[in-house]
Amino acid sequence: MKIVTANRLSDGRVIYADASGEPVGALDQAGRFDGEAAEVALSQAALQPAIFVNPYLVEVADGRPSGRDRFKELIRSRGPTVGHSLERL
Amino acid sequence: MYRYDEFDTAVVRERIEEFRDQVSRRVSGGLTEDEFKPLRLMNGVYLQLHAYMLRVAVPYGTMNSDQMRRLAHIARVYDKGYGHFTTRTNIQYNWPALSDVPAILSELAEVEMHAIQTSGNCIRNVTTDVFAGCADDEIEDPRPWCEILRQWSTIHPEFSFLPRKFKIAVIAASKDRAAMRTHDVGLQLIRGEDGQAAFRVFVGGGQGRIPHIAQEIAPAVPGRDLLAYLTAILRAWNLLGRRDNIHKARIKILVASLGIDAFREEVERHFATLRREDLRVPDEEVARIRAYFAPPPFANLPRTSGAFDRASLADPDFARFARNNVRRHRQPGYATLIVSLKPQGGVPGDITADQMDLVADLAERFSFDEVRAAYEQNLVLPHVRLDDTPEIWRRLAEAGLATPNADLVTDIIACPGLDYCSLANARSIPVAQALSEQLADLDYQERLGPIRVNMSGCINACGHHHVGHIGVLGVDRKGEEYYQITVGGSADEQAALGEIVGRSLAADEVAPAVGRALDRYLEVRREGETFLDAVRRLGADPFRDAIYGTLDAVA
Amino acid sequence: MQWLDTAPEGVRLPVTTPLEEVEAAARGAEALILEFDAFRDGRGFSLAAVLRERGYRGRLIAEGRVIPDQARHLRRSGFDGVVLGADADINAWKRMDAAFSTTYQPIEDNAVPIWRRRNPEPQNPEAVIETLNRDTRNDDAAAILRAALDPVLGLKPAVLSSFGAEAGVLLSLVARIDPSTPVIFLDTGMHFLQTLAYRKALSERLGLTDVRLVTPDADERADLDPRDDLWRADPDACCDLRKVRPLERTLIGIDILITGRKAYQTPDRRGLRPFELFEGRIRVNPLHDWSEERLAAWLDAEDLPTHPLSAHGYRSIGCWPCTQAVEAGKDGRLGRWSGAAKTECGIHLGRRTLPVG
Repeated sequence: MKIVTANRLSDGRVIYADASGEPVGALDQAGRFDGEAAEVALSQAALQPAIFVNPYLVEVADGRPSGRDRFKELIRSRGPTVGHSLERL
Repeated sequence: MYRYDEFDTAVVRERIEEFRDQVSRRVSGGLTEDEFKPLRLMNGVYLQLHAYMLRVAVPYGTMNSDQMRRLAHIARVYDKGYGHFTTRTNIQYNWPALSDVPAILSELAEVEMHAIQTSGNCIRNVTTDVFAGCADDEIEDPRPWCEILRQWSTIHPEFSFLPRKFKIAVIAASKDRAAMRTHDVGLQLIRGEDGQAAFRVFVGGGQGRIPHIAQEIAPAVPGRDLLAYLTAILRAWNLLGRRDNIHKARIKILVASLGIDAFREEVERHFATLRREDLRVPDEEVARIRAYFAPPPFANLPRTSGAFDRASLADPDFARFARNNVRRHRQPGYATLIVSLKPQGGVPGDITADQMDLVADLAERFSFDEVRAAYEQNLVLPHVRLDDTPEIWRRLAEAGLATPNADLVTDIIACPGLDYCSLANARSIPVAQALSEQLADLDYQERLGPIRVNMSGCINACGHHHVGHIGVLGVDRKGEEYYQITVGGSADEQAALGEIVGRSLAADEVAPAVGRALDRYLEVRREGETFLDAVRRLGADPFRDAIYGTLDAVA
Repeated sequence: MQWLDTAPEGVRLPVTTPLEEVEAAARGAEALILEFDAFRDGRGFSLAAVLRERGYRGRLIAEGRVIPDQARHLRRSGFDGVVLGADADINAWKRMDAAFSTTYQPIEDNAVPIWRRRNPEPQNPEAVIETLNRDTRNDDAAAILRAALDPVLGLKPAVLSSFGAEAGVLLSLVARIDPSTPVIFLDTGMHFLQTLAYRKALSERLGLTDVRLVTPDADERADLDPRDDLWRADPDACCDLRKVRPLERTLIGIDILITGRKAYQTPDRRGLRPFELFEGRIRVNPLHDWSEERLAAWLDAEDLPTHPLSAHGYRSIGCWPCTQAVEAGKDGRLGRWSGAAKTECGIHLGRRTLPVG
C-alpha cells in the first residue's frame, strides 16, 4: 500500500493526501492506494503545486512507513525526536 | 562593527521586495517549484523534513545586542522560541512559514540583518576567526576584508547560478581558527612586500562526499587585487565546473581533476584580461570600512585582576569556567569569553529566545555591545574585563549558558541530522546527547584535555566530521541508523582528514565506543600530549583496537 | 534590455560551448545568441562577461530556458536582449529587471557601483560622452533620454525648452521618465503671450513639477536695453542679454543639458549626435534624427495641446520681434530672424564677448 506525502507550500508542514486528494496533517488520515491508483493520486497532488510541494509516494504496512526510508518517514510523521520541538505542531 | 549606509539598506530592502514578488508568483503559479527553489534558497529558505528552515546570515560572525534581541524576537513570534547556530556562524530557524518570511526579513532589515545567499549555488557567508580583533597573533583584524567580500559577493550578476555553493573563510594569523583549509577558497591575510595587506590564497577545500584540504594557489595577492583574483577563480570554475552531477560540482573536484598548476593557469588567464581597475575598491572605501572595526575604547587596566583571582580561588566552579572558557585577550586586563551552547545532554548549538536576550544584555553591558558566533557553534563575548568575568559567569549560569567545556570533548560540533534535515541518513543529535551525558564528568573532561568531536548525519558532512579529532558519520544500513567513526582529523593549520577505524556501529554503541577510545588515549599518552598528537604519533590502530576489541570479543 | 519575440540573425551557440569556441565565433559577429538549456546553468553569464571585457561589441542575446528573475543578471553580465517565450510574463521580466536601484559590482551596463557612488571621482566628460554615444547607438529618443537621466551617472540634468511649436515632443518624453526633471524656460521678456500661456498649459498637462523661469539680469537690462528695443539694432546682443548669459548663470551646477535640437533645423545642426560636449558640459539631443513629419505625428498621437500660434503658420517660435509665420512647405526656421543671416540665438553656439563700451 502507498500513501502520497509532500510539504505544504504555505508553511512547509508535512501533509498527506487523503482518499479524496485533500491535504491532511496526520499519517493515519492519509489515503491508502494500490498500484495504478497510487500513481493517479500522486499526479493529482502534483497538479496542485500551490498546496503540495514535491509530492511523492511512501510505502506503508500496518499503518506505518515500511520501505527503505521508513525511519525518515516516521520522523516526518511525528516530528523531531529531540530538543525544543518535541511536541509536533 | 559595520553599519549600513543608504546603499546597503536599499539593497537589503529591495531584495525583500524581490522575494515577495517571487513568493507571490510561486503561489499564483507564475513560477514552478523547480524555478522557485533556487530563488528561495538564495534568500536562505530551505524546505526540510517538517517545515521550512530560514538561515539568517551573521556576517563573519559579528552581531550587536540589538541584532541578538531581534533574533530572539523572531524565534518567539515566528518560530518555536529557539534558534540554532551553525558551523558557518549563521543562525537557523526551523519552523517559519513561507508566508511569514517577507515579514521576518523586514524585521531583520530593521537591525541591518538579512538572509541573502545563506543557501543556494552562490557565494555564501564569509566566515572568519571568532577571535578577530582580540587575538594577539593576528596581522590585523580580518573583518574589514570580510565586509568588502560580503558586499562584492552580494547579488552578484555573474555568480548567482554557479555549479554549486561557494564558501570563503578568512584568517589573519598563521594559526587557523576558522577551518580555512576546508573552504572552497581560504584566505590568509599577510603583510605584503610593500607593507600593505596581501593574501595567501587557498582553493579547493571542502567536506562532503569527497573531502579535500585546500591547496595554495597564490602566495601573496595584494589586497587591491583580491576581488579581481577571486573573480578570476570563480569565473574559471563557473565555466569549467561540472554541472552533470551535484556531487562532482564543487571547485574542489575541478582543482583535483585539473591539478592545482593547470587550474592556476586557467585562473591567471582570466586574471590577465579582466578589468582589474574596475574591481579595485577605492582606498577611501577600504579606510571607511576599516574605521568601523577600530578597537573599542579599552580602559587602561592592569594585566591581572584581583576580582578574577579572588573568584577563582573562592569558587572551584568559576575556576573551572575560567580555565576553559575565558581566553587571553591582546589588551591587558581584558579577556574573551566563550558562551558554550553545549550543555550536558543538550542539542549542540541550540539557544532559546530568553537565552539570546540574556546574551544580548551581557554583550551590551560587558562587551562593548558585541557578541560573536563561532565555527564551533558557540557564542563569544569578545572584549570583557577580567574584573567582570565572575558576574558574567553567574548570570550565564542562571540561564544554563555556563557549561565550562569549551574545546573539551563535550563541546561537540553536530549537524541537525535526521531529526530536521531531509538529506540525512541518520540522527546526530541523540548520539551527541548520549555522548555528552556519558562524558559529563568535568574532571574527566579536563583530564582528557582539548578534543574536538564532530558529528554528521550524512555524507554531506555539515558537521565537518572529516576534520574532527573524532568524527562520527551517520550512515544508512538497510533503513537502520548506523555510525562510522574516524580519528585523527584536524581543521587547523595542519588540516587533515580523519581515518575510518572500522565497520559502522549501531546508535547505542557509539558513545561507549568513543569512551573506550578515550580511555585508551589516557593509557598511551605521553606527558602533555593531546588526543590529536597521540593519534598522529601512534596512528589509528590503538584506538581501533579499543573500539572493536571488546565488540569483536563479544560477537 | 530588449524583450524580443524572436532572435535576430546571428551566430547561435549553447552556453555549454567552451569559452575559446565562443570567442572565436564572436569575432566579427554582429549578433551572438547564447542558448540556455537550463536556467540554473550560469555559464552564460560568465561567457557574456568575458566577451564584453575582451571587446565584443555586437549584440548578445539570451534564448531558451531563462526566467524573469534573471533579467538583471543577463543585462549586467552583458546581454542586450532576451528572447521571451510565447507565454512569458513580460511584466515580471520588467519588474525583476528593475528590482534593484543600485549594485555593488562594476558590471557591463556601465552602472556606477556602490563603492564609486560613495566616493565619486570627478568624471571625465569626454569619456562619458563617448560611452553614452556608443551605448545609445541605434537607440530611440526615449532610450537616449533614459540614459541621460539615469541617476547612476551621478549627473545633475536639466531640460532646455522654448515651449515652442514642437516643445511638446521632448517634454512629453521627459515627463514619461521623470516629471520632476528641471525644465529651464528662458523668460526673455519678449515672448508671445501665447507662448507664456502654452507653457502653463503644457506643464500642467504633462505634470512637470520643476519648470524654472530664467530671466535676464535686471541691472544688465537696465544698462543695455532700457527701452526693450535692442533687437532692432543688434539682435545678437539682445539674445546675449536675454538668453545666453541668463542660461550660463542658471546652468551652474547642471552637468547634463537636454535640448530638443534636431539635425534638420539648420546647417549648423547637420551632424548632430545624441551626446556632445559643449563648454565643459554634456548636452543631449534625443530628437537629433527626427523629421518634422515625425514630430507632427507624435504630437498628434499623444494628443497634446499645440502652441496656439502653430495654427497660424508659425513653425518655429521664439521671441515676438524676431519670429514670423512661414508658408507651408518652406523650412520652418525661415521665420526666425528672417531677412537676416542669423539662424541661431547663440545659446547653443558658445560664448560671445560683449563689445566694449
